[in-house]
Amino acid sequence: MTVAAGIGYALVALGPSLSLFVSVISRKPFLILTVLSSTLLWLVSLIILSGLWRPFLPLKANVWWPYALLVVTSVCFQEGLRFLFWKVYKRLEDVLDSFADRISRPRLFLTDKLQIALAGGLGHGVAHAVFFCLSLLTPAFGPATFYVERCSKVPFFLISAIIALAFVTIHTFSMVIAFEGYAKGNRVDQVIVPVIHLAAGMLTLVNFASEGCVIGVPLLYLVASLTLVHCGKMVWQRLLETRNQSSASR
Amino acid sequence: MDSSSILDSLGVEIIGVMAPVSICMFLVVLLTYSLSVTSDPQIRTAANLIYIENPSDSATVKLEGSLLNAIVFVVLVAAVTFILVLLFYYNFTNFLKHYMRFSAFFVLGTMGGAIFLSIIQHFSIPVDSITCFILLFNFTILGTLSVFAGGIPIVLRQCYMVVMGIVVAAWFTKLPEWTTWFILVALALYDLVAVLAPGGPLKLLVELASSRDEELPAMVYEARPTVSSGNQGRNRGSSLRALVGAGAGGGVSDSGSVELQAVRNHDANQLGRGNSHNLDYNAVEVRDIDNVDGHGNEDRDVVERSPVVAISSEHSTTVGARGNIEDSDNVMDEEMSPLVELMGWGDNREEPRGLEESDNVVDISNRGIKLGLGDFIFYSVLVGRAAMYDLMTVYACYLAIISGLGCTLILLAVYNRALPALPISIMLGVVFYFLTRLLMEPFVVGMTTNLMMF
Repeated sequence: MTVAAGIGYALVALGPSLSLFVSVISRKPFLILTVLSSTLLWLVSLIILSGLWRPFLPLKANVWWPYALLVVTSVCFQEGLRFLFWKVYKRLEDVLDSFADRISRPRLFLTDKLQIALAGGLGHGVAHAVFFCLSLLTPAFGPATFYVERCSKVPFFLISAIIALAFVTIHTFSMVIAFEGYAKGNRVDQVIVPVIHLAAGMLTLVNFASEGCVIGVPLLYLVASLTLVHCGKMVWQRLLETRNQSSASR
Repeated sequence: MDSSSILDSLGVEIIGVMAPVSICMFLVVLLTYSLSVTSDPQIRTAANLIYIENPSDSATVKLEGSLLNAIVFVVLVAAVTFILVLLFYYNFTNFLKHYMRFSAFFVLGTMGGAIFLSIIQHFSIPVDSITCFILLFNFTILGTLSVFAGGIPIVLRQCYMVVMGIVVAAWFTKLPEWTTWFILVALALYDLVAVLAPGGPLKLLVELASSRDEELPAMVYEARPTVSSGNQGRNRGSSLRALVGAGAGGGVSDSGSVELQAVRNHDANQLGRGNSHNLDYNAVEVRDIDNVDGHGNEDRDVVERSPVVAISSEHSTTVGARGNIEDSDNVMDEEMSPLVELMGWGDNREEPRGLEESDNVVDISNRGIKLGLGDFIFYSVLVGRAAMYDLMTVYACYLAIISGLGCTLILLAVYNRALPALPISIMLGVVFYFLTRLLMEPFVVGMTTNLMMF
C-alpha cells in the first residue's frame, strides 16, 4: 500500500531470518558462503522443476489435482537434492578436518556442524521467501493493495508473507534435523523431514478451497512449530550428550 | 570451547570481495527502482554508434544492430587498452596517474552530480544550489584524493571505489536492452581473450608491470583484511590457498606449492618508504620452498615472485554526458580493470615507488585480493538490467554472479595468476536471467497467486 507496508510485508516474511543472519551467520564468513551456496542450490532446483513443468503450464485454476501433482513432484525432487547436499557437505567436512589437522587447530566442533546445517537451511528458507513472496511484493510499494477471491479477508501480500514465514521456519530447522539424522543414521529423523515438507506442501493445497486459508494457514503453523520443537529437542539432547562425554573423558 | 575453531576465520578473503560487490549491486538496483531510469534512445554514445535501438523495430533489426554496437564497443575498448599498453611501455606513468585522477574527478563530479540531482528532484529534497555545489565539490575532491594519494584510510578508498562503480553502472543501465545484453556478452569474451591469450593487451600490461616490478596505475578495489602481525596472521591469511590445497591434495602435500604461509618480511631500512608490508603472502613458487617457514627476524630479501604483480587497467568508454555532447567523440576513458589477482610480493628493491603511497607509515595490513573496478560496473549493469524486469530475475542474477565470482576466486587460488573476473559471472548471469524469465516466472507466479507453495 505504501513503502511502509511493502517493507512491513517483507519483514514479516524475512524478519526472523534476518535477525538469525545478523546474530549467528554474519560472524563467520564460512557460514555466509554456506547460505549463498544453499540458496543457489534451491534456485537451481526451482529452475529445473519449472523447466520440467513448463509444457503443462498454465494449469487450469479450478482443478486441484494437477497442483497436487506439482507439489508432490517438487517436494520429492527437493528432498532428493537435500540428500545430495548432505553428501557434498560430508566431503567438505573431511576437507575441513584435514585442513584443521594441517594447521594444528582443533577439528570441527559439534556446534560448528550444527551452525553449518543451520546456515544451509537458512539459505533454503530465504530462497523460498524471496521467490515465492518477495518477488511479488513490488506492487505492494505502490498506492493500492490486492485481494484474491480464495482468501478474501486478508490482502494477498500479507497472507503470502505469513505463509512464507512458516515455510522459512520449516526449511531452516528441518535442514538441521536432516543433517543430524544422516550423521547419526537415525531413521526417524531422516524420514521425518520429507514427511514434514510434504505435509506442509499439501496443507497449502487446502488454500485451494474457498476461504481455505483460514484452516490451512494455522495448520501450517502447527507443522512449523512441530519442526521447531523437534529440532530444539534433538539439538538439546546432542549438546547434553557431548557435554557429558567431554566431562567424562576428563 | 575455549580454543577457537577454524570456522571463525575461514573464507574471510572471499567475503571481503563479495561484500562490496553485493553492496554495489544492491545500491544500483535501488537506484534503478527509485529513479525509474528509462533508457533514453536519443543519446548517441560510444555504445550506440551504429544503431540506436527503437522499441518498435523488428527482432532481426534489433539483433543485427545490437551485435554491431557491441562489436564496435569492444573494438574501441581494445584500441584504448592498446594505447594504454604503449603509454606504459614508454614510461608515461605520471601522465597515466594524472589522467586517472582527472577521470575520477570527472566521473564523480559530472556523472555523480547528475545522479544526485535526479535524486534530489525525485524525492524533493529541499537544498539550495550553492550548498549542493559545495557538497558535491567536497565529495568529488575527496574521491579524487582517495584514489591515488597516500595517507587516506583504506575504508574511504574502498567506499569511493564502490561509489564510482555505482555511478558508472547507473549510467550504463540507460542503454537500451538488447544492446546491453550484447555488450555484456561481448565484453566477457573480450576479457577472456585479453587476459589469457598471448597477445592480449591486459596480459601484456601485467607482464610489463611484473617485469618492472611496478604497480600499474589503475582503479582497483583492494580487499585488505587487516590482520595483526604475529601468529594469527599466519593462519588466517593463508586459509584460502591451504584449503584449496587440502581439498585438492587430499590432505597430503609435500611440495610447497600449495602451502601458503605468511612470511615475515622485515625491512628495517624501509621505514621511509611507503610500501613495506610486514606480512606478505608467500607465492606459490616451488623455489621459495626454503623460505616457507618464515623465521621471524630475517632481513634476508625474500623475493616472492608471484607472477601477478599488479592489476592492469583497461580503458573503457563510458556513455557520454547527456545533453551538451551529442557526439561520440567525448569518450571518457576510465581505467578500470576486469581482473582479479591475489596480491603478494616482496617489496625489497630500492626502486622509486612513487606510484602509489608516499606516506611514511609502515603498512602492516595484509594485501588481499584485488578486483578491478570494471568488474563491479558490469556486474551491477547486469543486475540493474535484470531489475528492470522483475525482482525474481534480480535475485537469480545476483546469485549467479556471486557464484561465478566465487568460482573465479577459487581458480585464482589454484592458478595464482591474474584471471579475468568477467566471463564466468556474466555468462552465468545471462543464462540465469533468461532461464528465470522464460521458465521460472510462469511456474512460480501461477502457484503463488493460488496460494500454493512448497
